[in-house]
Amino acid sequence: MKRFIIAFLAAFIFIVLWGWFFNGVLLKDVSAEVQSLFRSRQEIMNLFHWIIIGQAGLALAFVMIYASGFATGGIAAGVRLGIMLEILAVGARCAIYATQPFPAKLLVLISIGGFIEMIVTGVIVGAVYKSVAERTAQRRDRF
Amino acid sequence: MLFRPKPDFPWLISGHVVMAFFLTFLCAKFVPAGGARTGALLGLLVALVYVGAHLITFAVQPITNKILWGWNVGALIQFAVAGAIIGTIYKSSSPATRPTPNA
Repeated sequence: MKRFIIAFLAAFIFIVLWGWFFNGVLLKDVSAEVQSLFRSRQEIMNLFHWIIIGQAGLALAFVMIYASGFATGGIAAGVRLGIMLEILAVGARCAIYATQPFPAKLLVLISIGGFIEMIVTGVIVGAVYKSVAERTAQRRDRF
Repeated sequence: MLFRPKPDFPWLISGHVVMAFFLTFLCAKFVPAGGARTGALLGLLVALVYVGAHLITFAVQPITNKILWGWNVGALIQFAVAGAIIGTIYKSSSPATRPTPNA
């Protein structure tokens, strides 16, 4: 349970920071080109709690999947899970492109950012699971 | 205009093909022994990833509450049923459940 909570918190903090840096700083100008598809800044700020809840849900789901099927594989398994989940998200983005008038460039850039986000999340979650397991084993050997 | 007047079907279909392929791939890695229940559970966990993404979309795009919760409930049903189907097919074709030729 300890590993789960630490991994969730670490993944959540990274996803929040990356989301702010990638969408709020790097993609700011590209997103501004299609402002009509987005809410106004004031509206987004009023609904900001949904962004945080969504990112928490994402981190929670990632760690739950990792913990229940990939935990023995370490960092490599975390990276593999991240890549698979992001490819699923790219599939969903193709459906978004089919139904919403987003420029392809923006969706490609969002997908590149998504890959980085999910791979790093996989590394973080895998590393947390590995390091806590190693520490527990060391403590067991000592006693 | 938030939505296209008419969906671009080739992109819509290819997106779903990618999702189906990688959900199957994930199921094969996650539950090699198969089973409808475990497949459905994985489907629900994957749907949670989408629910998170939908909530973020709701915060930044002018979609209604009805669309948001429709998407969320739809994703939970879609992925749970798809996971159960994949799990059932994997279980029925796994070596442990396949009848031996001389039995």
